Amino acid sequence: MSVATQPQGGVRVAIARDPALVRTVRLVAAALARRSECPEPLIEEIRLAIGEACAVMIGLEEADQGSDEQIEIKIHTDGDFSATVTGRVGDDDGNFAEIGLDPWALLRGLCEDLTVDEDGAVTTVGLSWPR
Amino acid sequence: VDLSLETRQENDHTIIEVGGEIDVYTAPKLRERITELVDEGHRKLIIDLEKVEFMDSTGLGVLVGGLKRVRTNEGSLELICTQERLLKIFRITGLGKVFAIHSSQAEATAQ
Repeated sequence: MSVATQPQGGVRVAIARDPALVRTVRLVAAALARRSECPEPLIEEIRLAIGEACAVMIGLEEADQGSDEQIEIKIHTDGDFSATVTGRVGDDDGNFAEIGLDPWALLRGLCEDLTVDEDGAVTTVGLSWPR
Repeated sequence: VDLSLETRQENDHTIIEVGGEIDVYTAPKLRERITELVDEGHRKLIIDLEKVEFMDSTGLGVLVGGLKRVRTNEGSLELICTQERLLKIFRITGLGKVFAIHSSQAEATAQ
């Protein structure tokens, strides 16, 4: 995992496609939201949503230790609190399709402004919460 | 503690008390436990979520998969949950209408 601060008040985190690392991303997201003085209910929502975006990308597939694929999370704290999560979406849909839900169903309800952009095998999820 | 799973029998109901976080890392452990129980012949499963601190959609997916598995075996899978932050997740996804969600073990086992 690598963490870097970005100019203009943001943080970039890149993790391997290892489910164990998603919790760390959630902790980073919550810490940044808290540092940005977001109210407690919003911090919880941000923690869940950014972790959820990573979880959908990794799915319940076994971690591929030999792969150098990563998921990149950029969190911006200037203006609106926002994040982008970029990576490959796994094949496992978590049984959601069978009940008529798309993989992003939970995220749509958690984030006021959700975008999902696909570029070949790479998907970028944009999340933002107005102040 | 990432995830704790305690299973006990109450009459003909099998109760799994889940604690900690059900996420993309820990959800497979819950899936395995449900699969084991169904394979062992348990048909009336109750998942107690009262001690769950966090759940994402992979946790929801495991519950949906469990429900499908027990129904295939003419069984049931019901939930106990009173935590608003979890109930919100069920509401957002519409899964609140798919699962029977009880407010206590007494209520869940009363049927």
